Amino acid sequence: MLRQLPAGVATLEGPELRYSFVNDQMLELVGKEPLGQRVADQPGQLPAYFLEVLPRLYAAGEDYTAQACTCGSKHCYDLSVQPYHDEQGVVAGLLLLAVDVSEQEAARQRAHELALTTRHLDARLRVLTETAPLITYTTDAGGKVIYVSPQWYRFTGQPPTADLTAIWPLLVHPEDRLRVLFESEAGRRTGTGWNFEYRLRRYDGAYRWMLSRSLPETHPPEAPVFWHGALTEVHQERELSEARRRGEAELRFLADSIPELVWTASAEGLVDYYNHYTLEYTGLTKEELGPTGWVGLLQADEQAAAARRWVQSVASGTEFEGEYRMRRHDGVYRWHTIRARQLSDGSGPRWFGTCSDIEEQYRLRQVLQTQYDELSRAHHNLDTFVYAASHDLRQPTNNLRGLFEELRRSVTFADAEQALMLQMVDTALSQLDATLVDLATTVRTQRQLQEPVEVLDLALVLEEILLGLRPEIMQRGARMEVLVSEAPGLRYSRANLRSVVHNLVSNALKFSHPVRPPHIVLRSYLTADDQPVLEVRDNGLGMHIDNPAHPVFQLFARQHTHVDGTGVGLYLVQRIVTSQGGHVTVNSTLSEGTTFTVYWTIPAI
Amino acid sequence: MKHIVYLSRAVHPLTDFDLQTLLDQSRKDNARNGITGILFYSHGNIAQLFEGEAEVADKLFGRISQDGRHSHVRKLIDRPIAARSFSEWSMAFHPLAAESFEALQGFLLPHHVPPTPATLPTADALLVELVRLAVFGPDPSQPYQTTVPTF
Repeated sequence: MLRQLPAGVATLEGPELRYSFVNDQMLELVGKEPLGQRVADQPGQLPAYFLEVLPRLYAAGEDYTAQACTCGSKHCYDLSVQPYHDEQGVVAGLLLLAVDVSEQEAARQRAHELALTTRHLDARLRVLTETAPLITYTTDAGGKVIYVSPQWYRFTGQPPTADLTAIWPLLVHPEDRLRVLFESEAGRRTGTGWNFEYRLRRYDGAYRWMLSRSLPETHPPEAPVFWHGALTEVHQERELSEARRRGEAELRFLADSIPELVWTASAEGLVDYYNHYTLEYTGLTKEELGPTGWVGLLQADEQAAAARRWVQSVASGTEFEGEYRMRRHDGVYRWHTIRARQLSDGSGPRWFGTCSDIEEQYRLRQVLQTQYDELSRAHHNLDTFVYAASHDLRQPTNNLRGLFEELRRSVTFADAEQALMLQMVDTALSQLDATLVDLATTVRTQRQLQEPVEVLDLALVLEEILLGLRPEIMQRGARMEVLVSEAPGLRYSRANLRSVVHNLVSNALKFSHPVRPPHIVLRSYLTADDQPVLEVRDNGLGMHIDNPAHPVFQLFARQHTHVDGTGVGLYLVQRIVTSQGGHVTVNSTLSEGTTFTVYWTIPAI
Repeated sequence: MKHIVYLSRAVHPLTDFDLQTLLDQSRKDNARNGITGILFYSHGNIAQLFEGEAEVADKLFGRISQDGRHSHVRKLIDRPIAARSFSEWSMAFHPLAAESFEALQGFLLPHHVPPTPATLPTADALLVELVRLAVFGPDPSQPYQTTVPTF
């Protein structure tokens, strides 16, 4: 039975303590074939002090347990020894027991190593937490501060004896204190951590912004007991972002105060901000406008081109600029200059845009343009007049010279002075003729320089001319009809065309019938011979066509003396048209209306 | 009916295989749900316009914004429309091996994307143009360089 024991057993018999029994397990300690040997001769792994004790135990014969520890090649054992007695109760030997404690020993070793490692880790952690430029701390579930790293004392200037739990809330800025206490309490109660910023009083009394982050130490399923965290100074970052926020807010405020449409867009060209005035002007919300809604505010036929232009600007980073009509909340379109520029700085490119109302300038420009046109037309008329007059005056001058020539030949003068006078008259007539020729040449040269012949879009030119006559048209309530689809283009000098049409239309307006509003039809068509024709028909007073007392196309001829005028208009029309190889006809019925038909130049083939 | 446009960034660059899987799966799902539109992808940049019944479209966007494969989802527009502008759902991207993709249904090379449908209001057409520019860069026939900042 002793052999099966999971422990080493041996007996030492007699005063010489010879091995009398050794089980298999004990052999590991005492060595091979020990039976009959004295223990002193074959101690095996038994420790020396144990051997010394054995004879004394035997001698004393007392029940005594001596203990020692030793290790064999494979296992470690706890040794115990006690005397045993024979039938007479006399000490007969010693009983040795060796209990295997290898596992406990290994565990103890491991524990020792762990303790060492822990000590290393602990030291490392300590060095790290105490040298890092941040404060570390630990609190328990009740909010009691268990630990703060030495940086805290250095930062706050508090003595090491300070009662941390009591003092730290007092060092928090009064404005932040309640919030901080509430949030950390909430973090503990819910078993989560926290992450907030607050101002902490520094040793010099200045409050500095700190970022406090903390996480619970969890050992599920138990609720967390400790919260470990770190405090970092974020004062400068905070100040910077605060300044930036303030700057941004100020800019927004500024942009919102300007009575001008202001917006910003991301690098991709998507609008992310419209100022207050934009919303006011358009009557739309930011959501309704969306990232590209501005383009929908432009006149329908300008939208596509503006959109293409914006995509190009975004793709190339070049400035966007253009004049567009933009719809106001009441549906009125007003002219705007839209400008956008890209700002590239550290935080990536952004677009800044404005839309300035130029409706007034635009109108002014139009008025100026109209006036300029009027002036240039008047100037041109004057030129034409001078040219025509000089041309027409040459014929009578020549006649006069001829007559004088004849006179000089047929009449004889007694007085020599009279012959001299005749000579002077002749010279004067020559001078007059030369002057007239010069005058005509000057004007013609000027005109040729000024007026290139081009293919004109009649619809456009006629519209321009009528725009110039708008005040008269409005004043008389005239109905204008422009029919150019049969012959929409005309090869002619722009200024001449303007002059002709302006004169005919303003005549038609001027000589309107008092009982009915004027209805004037301008129709462009081609004759059977492809000659372009413009017909100007009115429903006005009408004229005497064949009345020699009232010639139509003569200089200074005036049909209706009760209406203001110089009598130059129709004369000019005819001069211009005939000078370009065309002619003008007129058809009229008194009190019903007049139709002028202008046959333009026959196109060269 | 409504349409939604968004921009986002893929968390990892999508491989040809990822793109093909996405194309197949999305075309199947979208055809079933009556979703039409177009998706642009290049070098991690994603933009999509899709249109469909309001409820379906909202649900789809909900799923998209929760999808872990991309982040920085920016919804640019979400508004009712009178009618669809796209007849089907397709994807445009630069695959590494373009040959193997050319025959695929619903796949477009970026420079073969048809012009924006005329039925879209100009503002929405402009938006699609801008997101396409943001994804592919100024020249869609060239693989996208670095004109748009990465997040």
